[in-house]
Amino acid sequence: MPATATPTPVEVFESGDAALRVVASSPDREANWSTVHALAGWLEAAGADGVHGAVPTYDSLLVEFDPGVTSARQVRAFVLLGMRQLDFIGAPARAPREFSVPVVYGGEYGPDLERVAEHEQLPVEEIIALHTAKSYVIRCLGAPAGSPMMDGPDFPLPVPRLKDPRLSVPAGAVAVAGRQAVIAPAMAPGGWCVIGQTPLAVLDVTSEPLVPYLPGDLLRFHPIRPEEFTTYAGRKLEAAQ
Amino acid sequence: MSGSLVIQQSGNSVVTDLGRFRGPRFGLPVNGALDQFSARAANILTGNADSAPLLEITALDFRMRATTDILVAVTGAPLRLTVDGRECQQWEPISVRAGETVALRQITGGLRAYLAVHGSVEAPVLLGSCAPDTVIGFGLRLTDGTELKTSRSVPPIRQPYFDLPLFRLGLTRPEFSSHAVVEVTDGPDVDEFGDTADLLYSTEYTVSARSNHIGLRLGGDLPERQSGAEVLSRGVPVGAIEVPSRDELLVLHRGRGVTAGYPVLAVVTTRSLDVLAQARPGHTITFRRTTVPDATAKHRAALRELENLRSTVSTVFALLGIGSRPSWQQFAPAAGS
Repeated sequence: MPATATPTPVEVFESGDAALRVVASSPDREANWSTVHALAGWLEAAGADGVHGAVPTYDSLLVEFDPGVTSARQVRAFVLLGMRQLDFIGAPARAPREFSVPVVYGGEYGPDLERVAEHEQLPVEEIIALHTAKSYVIRCLGAPAGSPMMDGPDFPLPVPRLKDPRLSVPAGAVAVAGRQAVIAPAMAPGGWCVIGQTPLAVLDVTSEPLVPYLPGDLLRFHPIRPEEFTTYAGRKLEAAQ
Repeated sequence: MSGSLVIQQSGNSVVTDLGRFRGPRFGLPVNGALDQFSARAANILTGNADSAPLLEITALDFRMRATTDILVAVTGAPLRLTVDGRECQQWEPISVRAGETVALRQITGGLRAYLAVHGSVEAPVLLGSCAPDTVIGFGLRLTDGTELKTSRSVPPIRQPYFDLPLFRLGLTRPEFSSHAVVEVTDGPDVDEFGDTADLLYSTEYTVSARSNHIGLRLGGDLPERQSGAEVLSRGVPVGAIEVPSRDELLVLHRGRGVTAGYPVLAVVTTRSLDVLAQARPGHTITFRRTTVPDATAKHRAALRELENLRSTVSTVFALLGIGSRPSWQQFAPAAGS
């Protein structure tokens, strides 16, 4: 998590009897993101009876708790205490790790590559070049199964979602939608445009954590040929040494 | 003594527990028993920890045979419960002998039943929970012939007067009806729906057949979002009510994806999530607005009821020597000793 000397202020909203939504709504999106992730880290580390955990995304955090043990009022106080701590000590810094992800683009591996190229009015090669041109910050873990949610490639236009979402997208699918990018760790239904697939196993349900990356880590794609797909079979996604 | 449960007719059944509470931070839904009150009660009635693995049986008939003498309890939706053909009571412990068949038939009124076994059953665990996760393909879904390992046997306990129920522990059972009143609190995004939010409280909704453990889809007059601004993905609580389409209301349950980009209109209370867990397709639902403190108080009242049950069960089981040596042996030495 990058350090933020001064977290942005947050607002706390009721979200039922077993959760609170914490929102950072300053004009600085980067600062909002670091604030909610730093706060999630503080809540995890501090631990409080009855608090199950926190789910940070872009500018918000869902804090879930057991209303038999604690209450919305107590958890709100705990969250505000965390904010005062962060104001005082600053957010802890963690050096991001880097992940390199081989991708077979197009064809059966990326059935929507040409659709995306057409929409962006760019050649397919240029779509691949833009998708592999930079490292992406993993912003949060999303559904399904801890997907790495990233700010998307520098395409000219946002990518529309599929009109008819697929009932099943394979594990390893590399997809884009709007201004976001993602890898699907597990087979699931999906409405994002699939432009490629990685042969690496992202999800490992036999180990903890189930996915190797955390929000704040960096991820970069590089193209491989279809015939190389099987040479990676059985290998897991791991941070570069 | 360890033994096993041999599943003869699996219907639609899984081994689950109260849920994977550490899951959401890793992007995994909490999952677990949809009717938490019934699941806790079944475990308590068999002397287990609330969070012990147990069977969740949804909608379809179920049958199993025990290879050792065991103690079970069945809670949740009303059904016809028999042990080797003898009619038995739900919501009470039942002694089952080795070789006998336990059958759950005609689940009516509700949708989900829970079957707990004293000493529980073995199941694989992920992040501290055995709850199945259909998205990542984890968990124990039962099929005909599955054998579940049990860890403890309980010698047969039977009324000398045949067919009289053995226990009368007196838990107030939840009510089951084809029309449910579900309590909700205002969601964090209620203002986005303007005046149309009130439709939620004046409309009778019908449960669609496309409902499952991820969410219930309800047909009826729908509140409409007044703004079209893009919503960044954010964590959504179990119980969140969203209006993702013009056709149906979506009420997220324990299998929900942890993040989503739809505004949250209202959130179902913890207590009422159990009511929703029992709503069958075609059942009708009306929503009633409540407050977070009131919802918390109702949840805690239900937990107190379960605590009272736990203390009754532990007294009765101690006298009968279930889970330990019978305490009556201390008072009544055997003749001749």
